[in-house]
Amino acid sequence: MAAPAVKAARGWPVLALGVRNRLLRFPGLTQVRGSRYGPEYKDPQVDKEYYRKPLAELTEEEKYEWELRKTQHIKAAPASKTSSVFEDPVISKFTNMIMKGGNKVLARSLMAQTLEAVKRKQFEKYHAASAEERASIERNPYTIFHQALKNCEPVIGLVPILRGGHFYQVPVPLADRRRRFLAMKWMITECREKKHRRVLMPEKLSHELLEAFHNQGPVIKKKHDMHKMAEANRALAHYRWW
Amino acid sequence: MLTEWQLSVLVLLYISPICNEDENLSIAAAMLTRTSRLVSGARRLDPGRLLHAGSQAPQSLAAPLDNQAPDDSPRAVSRTSEKDPVKTFSEACLMVRKPALELLHYLKNTNFAHPAVRYVLYGEKGTGKTLSLCHVIHFCAKQDWLILHVPDAHLWVKSCRSLLPSTYNKQRLDQPAEASIWLKNFKTTNERFLSQIKVQEKYVWNKRESTEKGSPLGEVVEQGIMRVKNATDAVGVVLRELKGQSSLGGFRLLVAVDGVNALWGKTTLKREDKSLVAPEELALVHNLRKMVKNDWHGGTIVLTLSQTGSLFKPRKAYLPQELLGKEGFDALDPFIPILVSNYSPKEFESCIQYYLENSWLQHEKAHTEEGKKELLFLSNANPGQLERLCAHL
Repeated sequence: MAAPAVKAARGWPVLALGVRNRLLRFPGLTQVRGSRYGPEYKDPQVDKEYYRKPLAELTEEEKYEWELRKTQHIKAAPASKTSSVFEDPVISKFTNMIMKGGNKVLARSLMAQTLEAVKRKQFEKYHAASAEERASIERNPYTIFHQALKNCEPVIGLVPILRGGHFYQVPVPLADRRRRFLAMKWMITECREKKHRRVLMPEKLSHELLEAFHNQGPVIKKKHDMHKMAEANRALAHYRWW
Repeated sequence: MLTEWQLSVLVLLYISPICNEDENLSIAAAMLTRTSRLVSGARRLDPGRLLHAGSQAPQSLAAPLDNQAPDDSPRAVSRTSEKDPVKTFSEACLMVRKPALELLHYLKNTNFAHPAVRYVLYGEKGTGKTLSLCHVIHFCAKQDWLILHVPDAHLWVKSCRSLLPSTYNKQRLDQPAEASIWLKNFKTTNERFLSQIKVQEKYVWNKRESTEKGSPLGEVVEQGIMRVKNATDAVGVVLRELKGQSSLGGFRLLVAVDGVNALWGKTTLKREDKSLVAPEELALVHNLRKMVKNDWHGGTIVLTLSQTGSLFKPRKAYLPQELLGKEGFDALDPFIPILVSNYSPKEFESCIQYYLENSWLQHEKAHTEEGKKELLFLSNANPGQLERLCAHL
């Protein structure tokens, strides 16, 4: 777990059972980012199938787990997590990144309109195509979305490392979450900045997603640029110590 | 659900095979500029359900919309919107539901010697009033009635750029843009009747132009389309002529108005001196109110209430008394109300099956029982809501 970030504040921090109280050492600081829960708190189980299994069918470990969960502390489930069958964590993360100023309603509707636009464009292509080409046209917006973001993920990234008073851009292997984040960030920035002001976000986003799905377009180009820079700075690779 | 413009397009798409002109399609497509919704789930009836002898199965319309020539006039935009069902499914279908069947049964048994009966389709938002109206219009078109269709009366009482003082009556106001769009719509819908019906009076438009008695109605419509300043008066003339001549029995007239509560509500239009305009001061509204009165015979009037485009009405209002107000209700009284409600379980299942057949529901979990139950819960079997949910799944 990441270390909790602290920030100078006027009031005393409120302490509750199970919340980490190391901040007593730093009066005047409140915890801002990071989890307020102690390590004994377990994640909530939102999967409906887990609770539908009749007791007789459970194995020994599962029965033990059931009994254990009755006594453990469990974190509160966040409002954005549902037990809906249509929920997708990648889509939720992307929607959160589109969101501005906490306007989740708008972000969700933009996401829905984007998926709809992708679907309609693919349907049009499908009906215009001949029988042989039809098998190759993908109409599921979710597969297109996931594949497009996977195509945009860079394999290697650059990190500024301070050596001898200068910052050098050192090529470094990226963690999975950093790669997913970079793909989504590039996609959203590209769609926000490089569009005409009259063009709506869903239209632009659907266009970029379809291009990335076919390994074309500006986001893929950005990924390739990142790879080329990393290749160019290959000599600095030994500055990395991890 | 379909917006009113999409409705008018569907009407025109259905009628165009009868009229058989490419121009129809392009102007029909023009009506789709403001559409925003895919046509609602349409399904042929399950084999178990009885079909009325006369009512048609939903027409599968593979109208080729690719070969449209761009329209010359700056107003009509001849592009189909991206949400056009003909583009996505290469067909446009309607679900045959009870309210529409009821209406068709009444229509088949109308006595044309009696004054025109008024049918009012009412219901909550998104239940399918506009599409039921569309179905009825299609049926009447197939039976060769003359269709007088106003796709959305709300558009006449709000956001009008040009309001001119009327040439015919000084107290009233003209709306040239809306009138000319309606005239173009009317022309493409009823091409055949324009040469058959003869005008019964002489109409003088200005110093140089006039329409003689006995000339075909098509001339009046042409005059309105060409001279946009006289468009509203042309509409008034057309309505008056049709009302007078429908009693003679040469044709059967269907007056179909969507969002009829706009005629008796308030407007958001203002004159140059910022004073509010009442609906009766608009010439189009005044003439349409006369058309909707039941003092003529030889046809029927089918109306739809709509809260969606209405002005100053609460969101949850759907009953005729609430939406029409006292004035409107008294003007329309007596009428036959027909309630349009949410999908029954069979209709819902049928709608989902249609989407699955066309592969519109692409999410892998949507095919499962869990997914269907969730869709039922989220949409509460409301057709409009279901359509919006399935759009992105």
